[in-house]
Amino acid sequence: MAFYEQHIHPKPTTFLSKYIFSYDHKVIGKQFLWYGILFLFVGGLMALMIRWTLAYPGQPFPVIGSFLFPETGGAVPADTYAMLFTMHGTIMIFYAITPILIGCFGNYCIPLMLGARDMAFPLLNMLSFHLAALSGLILMGSLFTPLGAAAGGWTSYPTLSTLIGSPGMGQTLWSLAIFVLGVSSTMGAVNYITTIITLRAPGMGYFDMPLTIWGLGLTAVLNAIFLPVLGAGVLLLIFDRLFGTTFFLAGAAATTGTGDPVLFQHVFWIFGHPEVYILILPAWGIVSDLLSFFARKPAFGAKATALAMTSITILSTLVYGHHMFTTQMSPLLTQTFMTLTMTISIPSAIFFANWLGTIWKGSIRFHSPMLFSLGVVFVFGLGGLTGLYLGTVTTDLYLHDTYFVVGHFHYTMAASVLLGGFAAIYFWMPKMFGTIMNEFWAKIHFWITMLGLNGVFFAMMLVGYGGMHRRIYNPFIYEFTQKLIPLNTFATWSAIIMGFAQIIFVVNFVYAVFFKKEKASQNPWEVGTLEWTIPSPAPHYNFKEIPVVKCGPHELGNPNLGNGRDFQYQTEELA
Amino acid sequence: MNESKFAEPVLNTDQNLGFFEMIMPPEDISQHGHEIDALFNYTTSLNIFFFILVCAGLFGFSYLYHQSRHPKPYYTYGNKKIHILVSTIIGVAVFIGIDLNITRMSNDDYIGIFTNWPDESQEDVVRVQVLGQQWAWNFRQPGEDKVFNTEDDVVTLNDLRIPAGKKVIFQILSKDVIHSLYFPNARRKTDAIPGRITRMWIQFNKPGTYDIACAEMCGTYHYRMAARLTVYEEDDYNHWLAEANQIFDAINDPEDAKIYWGWKWTPTSSTKKVGMSK
Amino acid sequence: MSVKAPNIQNGLALQSSIAMIMTLVSFSMLFATLFLGYVAYRFTADVWPPMGMQRASLLIPTISTFTILLSSLSYFALEKSVFNKDWKKAKAYFYLTLTLGSCFMGFQFLLWRDLKLTGIFVDSTVFGSIIYAFTWIHAAHVVAGMLALLFLIPAIHQTIDEEKGMIRTKSVGQFWHFLGIVWFLIFFGIFVF
Repeated sequence: MAFYEQHIHPKPTTFLSKYIFSYDHKVIGKQFLWYGILFLFVGGLMALMIRWTLAYPGQPFPVIGSFLFPETGGAVPADTYAMLFTMHGTIMIFYAITPILIGCFGNYCIPLMLGARDMAFPLLNMLSFHLAALSGLILMGSLFTPLGAAAGGWTSYPTLSTLIGSPGMGQTLWSLAIFVLGVSSTMGAVNYITTIITLRAPGMGYFDMPLTIWGLGLTAVLNAIFLPVLGAGVLLLIFDRLFGTTFFLAGAAATTGTGDPVLFQHVFWIFGHPEVYILILPAWGIVSDLLSFFARKPAFGAKATALAMTSITILSTLVYGHHMFTTQMSPLLTQTFMTLTMTISIPSAIFFANWLGTIWKGSIRFHSPMLFSLGVVFVFGLGGLTGLYLGTVTTDLYLHDTYFVVGHFHYTMAASVLLGGFAAIYFWMPKMFGTIMNEFWAKIHFWITMLGLNGVFFAMMLVGYGGMHRRIYNPFIYEFTQKLIPLNTFATWSAIIMGFAQIIFVVNFVYAVFFKKEKASQNPWEVGTLEWTIPSPAPHYNFKEIPVVKCGPHELGNPNLGNGRDFQYQTEELA
Repeated sequence: MNESKFAEPVLNTDQNLGFFEMIMPPEDISQHGHEIDALFNYTTSLNIFFFILVCAGLFGFSYLYHQSRHPKPYYTYGNKKIHILVSTIIGVAVFIGIDLNITRMSNDDYIGIFTNWPDESQEDVVRVQVLGQQWAWNFRQPGEDKVFNTEDDVVTLNDLRIPAGKKVIFQILSKDVIHSLYFPNARRKTDAIPGRITRMWIQFNKPGTYDIACAEMCGTYHYRMAARLTVYEEDDYNHWLAEANQIFDAINDPEDAKIYWGWKWTPTSSTKKVGMSK
Repeated sequence: MSVKAPNIQNGLALQSSIAMIMTLVSFSMLFATLFLGYVAYRFTADVWPPMGMQRASLLIPTISTFTILLSSLSYFALEKSVFNKDWKKAKAYFYLTLTLGSCFMGFQFLLWRDLKLTGIFVDSTVFGSIIYAFTWIHAAHVVAGMLALLFLIPAIHQTIDEEKGMIRTKSVGQFWHFLGIVWFLIFFGIFVF
């Protein structure tokens, strides 16, 4: 029920209008993809430096160590280490996952799957990317300030992140970069929501949308509502640093009156908890669709899955306090947050059951997108269950700020989202770039990544259970961490293996995008959502004629289908 | 701090631990730490059960319904009554079986033990004030006058000594940034926040020396903000305290304001609201 | 008391409304967070204003409130004349709104000067922090609002499509009135009470 028909623009001709200042959602999506992959590499390199230091403190980092850190003979110095884990977290969350899952696949898939010619506001879309690019420049620029980049953790708690703990421009530039990125993502969110509401093709009700769109739409809603909260918090932090306000100053820092550092934690986590759902919802949606496509049957309980994702979206706004159990909020508040956190299990379990129901009695093909989707089911199952320990107050009192938390969120955020992102890239490559990635190397990429990923993050959880706390440069000075050294070394080598496996992906990707001669067919995966009704790669106007939707997005395996086909397009009447 | 450990990669050759010993948490020397361990283990067993189910579905279905083995898929939307029933049962089973169970257990421990402050007027408790700073822990125990922030207080740096078998109440503050007082061998940590006093009580039972660490990022040297916890037998503790009293009474200079970082001790009752004090 | 746009049947108007409402939800969350902080500080403080600070004089804030109220009324008139295609009146009300907006900004600068004379500086405890942070952020949004007003110039000079102009007028209006509402909350929440 599109509110109006978007007209077809003439094809852009100049280099600038085609690749730099493009209004086309497909180009903007690809810009976000390259941007995200670049930062994934930077963040990943930082992770390897962190892991190296944890396994071999004092030893020079291989290859580039002596170039980067001449004063210490190549070993990562302690203050740089703090910058590394801060920037690693910030980059991975805001500059890798957000651009790839939300910036790229949100932009690319939403109009195509809805049967629209572009987003509701193409200019806003373009501005959103350029603001994100500006933000990236500011963030990377902060590395080159005299006192270095922000070093207070990606959570930048005051008073460490105020002038007393972080003198210099690094933390200020970090805060500014986050603010600018928040504006960029909020613009994108408004665009996505408006497009989903107003530009669905005729005949497409909300439950006829693919679950990918549900995931992306719910993410956009959370983004639009909660990014400004982070923006406010970070803005007040900037004011504290630049203008002498006292919002978050206390103790030795508060020479002109006191504020409350814990207030920042409240504000940060009111955003922060929905943020983790923002990061995972697109992957959930994508996996829900891909499991159906490759099992050749409809998504099991698709409506229930959509509603479960919606209820998680709503519940996620109520549980933020479980990040703050050690700050001594009142017992009543603490208990309330614990109980509310537990309720998220119900919808999670429901759509997990639906995932398994989708592959139950299917006819499963194990192409790479499917392998990665099944991988998401595995790692999110594991990661999600480990969240239970952290939502329970008393076990959290032990596990808070240990590597157990790090393992948990890497399983749920890094592993699940990364695998989901890879699934999406492998799946939509034909539509985006007109070729299919090499399937053999894709499978190798999958297996080595799974091996490495489970090695690192499970080892982290074990190490955390052993009590090793996080954000430390040299864990070996404590007695209680001595026996955890082999596990740390194991985690480092798993990380190195996982890191090198990504080279396989990059080569495969670059080859498919730039060099592969064999072009993909219009619908190589043989599925019925609207983007597969148009040529591969998609033409600049998307749809010559706006499609009319007559059935759902997962019409596969219908016994009434004839012609040797086992699927039907959404534009065909239900068989 | 043992700087030499910084330079060499440390090998675990002298301990020869089996895998399970390696992954166990540090020795629990506290009265109530085992409650946390028990809850953790209980949650783990439930998690293993449900994860095995998930894996059975994942790997089992992947095997059984491989295209070559199962060419014709079962066409269903999963919205029949039986399907909804099974999904709901699974969801509710997880919630009641795991979530509500562990919530109840945790609540009982949290309200019954960890926020159930000892009554200082009735019980013989040890009171300690802790000031975290970048990058050290300062501990203060009252001297013979039993009043904090007086000349005869025992003020130590990175060196906490308490008796076994007695409840210890900590009041914790930070001077500069947020730190977190972490006792791995007691499974407990509480943030040290500038401008607000936080509290924790623990009973340590086994004499020996143990680690204290800082569990909240507090700057470049957060990683070596370590202290030593010495748990004495009660007699040894009294002996040490008496000696320490004398030493500190002699060296504490009443003119030196830096020593008097302590504060007036207000006992915690279980109903006291922890707000923005100090 | 909203102005009814004439029957714009096509979906562009609805789409514009949806987008603007979503945007206003976002901005509301920004200001809501600031208000959350204010409430937290105010109700945990033993005495307000803290540390013996003086309250700000209400003269300039009250004048500012009237100014912004008038500007919203002027904007209502602008919307009505655009929808009635009375371009002469539209131009008049447009420039009146722009002028009132500029006056509001002027009064903000006077307010900041007056605050300093009363001894309330940006680093004067959390009381000063709150007043300045709120008024700065609101003022920044008013500047954005005035830039948005400039987008209406093609509309009232009829250099763009009439319907598009009406949609723009309505959307910018929603933003403009939103700024007025936020100011009301600041005025009553921080200056008066």
